[in-house]
Amino acid sequence: MKRFLLITAGTVGGLGAVLSVTPPQLGSSAIDFGSELTALPTPETTTQAPTPSQSATSTATNKAAPTKTTAAKPTSAATATTAASTPAATQTQTQSATPAPTPTAKTISGDFAGPVVNTRYGNVQVEISVTNGKITNAKALLAPTGKNDKYTRFAIPVLKQQTLAAQSTDIQGASGASYTTYGWRLSLQGAMAKAGL
Amino acid sequence: MTRIQREIEVWGTVLFLDVTSNVDLTAAFAKVESYVHQVDETFSTYKSGSKVSQLRRGEITIDQCPPELIEVWNLCLEVKELTEGAFDPWAVAGGFDPSGLVKGWAADNSAEILKAAGAAHIQVNAAGDLALRGGFTDQLPWSIGVVNPDNRLEILQTFEIQDGAIATSGTYERGAHIYDPHTGLIAIGAKSATVLGPNGAIADALATALMVSGRDGAIWFTTPELAEYSAWVIDRHQEIAWSIGPATA
Repeated sequence: MKRFLLITAGTVGGLGAVLSVTPPQLGSSAIDFGSELTALPTPETTTQAPTPSQSATSTATNKAAPTKTTAAKPTSAATATTAASTPAATQTQTQSATPAPTPTAKTISGDFAGPVVNTRYGNVQVEISVTNGKITNAKALLAPTGKNDKYTRFAIPVLKQQTLAAQSTDIQGASGASYTTYGWRLSLQGAMAKAGL
Repeated sequence: MTRIQREIEVWGTVLFLDVTSNVDLTAAFAKVESYVHQVDETFSTYKSGSKVSQLRRGEITIDQCPPELIEVWNLCLEVKELTEGAFDPWAVAGGFDPSGLVKGWAADNSAEILKAAGAAHIQVNAAGDLALRGGFTDQLPWSIGVVNPDNRLEILQTFEIQDGAIATSGTYERGAHIYDPHTGLIAIGAKSATVLGPNGAIADALATALMVSGRDGAIWFTTPELAEYSAWVIDRHQEIAWSIGPATA
């Protein structure tokens, strides 16, 4: 739970950074978010109907999120909404990236391809570029095509951003997941192992 | 410690196993494989010879069903009550269809088979309904991501789970497939609903029910029966998520 709180704190920071760098989309949604929150009554007794808390999902913001958002400090917009959460139902931020662990100093450099992973939707293969022990780029050498193509084209860059932000495959499973996710992560794990990360 | 990752094709999807153990699990994996196929034979609504299909056609009554089907029937009754009818396998066209609960139930039972065989760290992922035992390592819990319903490759939220279940319902891979039992129309209460708790069957069914009721379902989680359960739900209005329960505090 302590780690989860840390993650939440990190994602609040990440969202804060996103809020500060993507004014066009978030100007309006941040306002909606705030007004919905203030309109919510605070539950006073335990028998009262629960008031689910609000949070802005970062579905839209991820598209424009820079790779280092998790390192940024929370802005006032993000911290203010955290303070508004009620005890009955806590607020969550749906930022995708988890806090980046401190990368250890390494001198490995080069391109490393992971194994081809066969998923239900097609083959997935990830290649990472490493500079001084840090992943500087990640791309799909192979990604599912066909009717899932529109998802794949949109999804791969987002997952690449997550990879760069997290510098590890620290999620072991996914709920509501597709097998492409496993493919990406398994191939990424292989590429990282090859690079000695 | 050896970590083994394995996939089993069953229930029209793939069951993913991720198990770390000191002991040889060859026999346990075979037992899980045979178990999940047996579940398919009993519960599939696509197989005309399954007990559930016979029950749906009225050829047999629940009293004539095997104990595992009676167990699932009773779990369905329990969740129907807990969700004020939002989860109702009896309201499905064609008769009793426990599919919204069976996957989480069978994932739980598969995890228990592996645990009984001596596995230390267990993840059973039945296409998004997960049963977890013993954490990821001796030190770390399992870290499980919830996938964006609009973008299957994106993780929107992560939860850390030592022992328990997490289930997500949504309009993911197979399109909208949950119906509102009150109206018979496609469920519109939520875009994606994730439930965490000790019992995989109940978590799975609650996630399905939240797709129907949306925020109105938050109150279920204030009952003593569901004190250990948590929900994390993306509204159908995409921009908003809400949560309730101990795991989301």
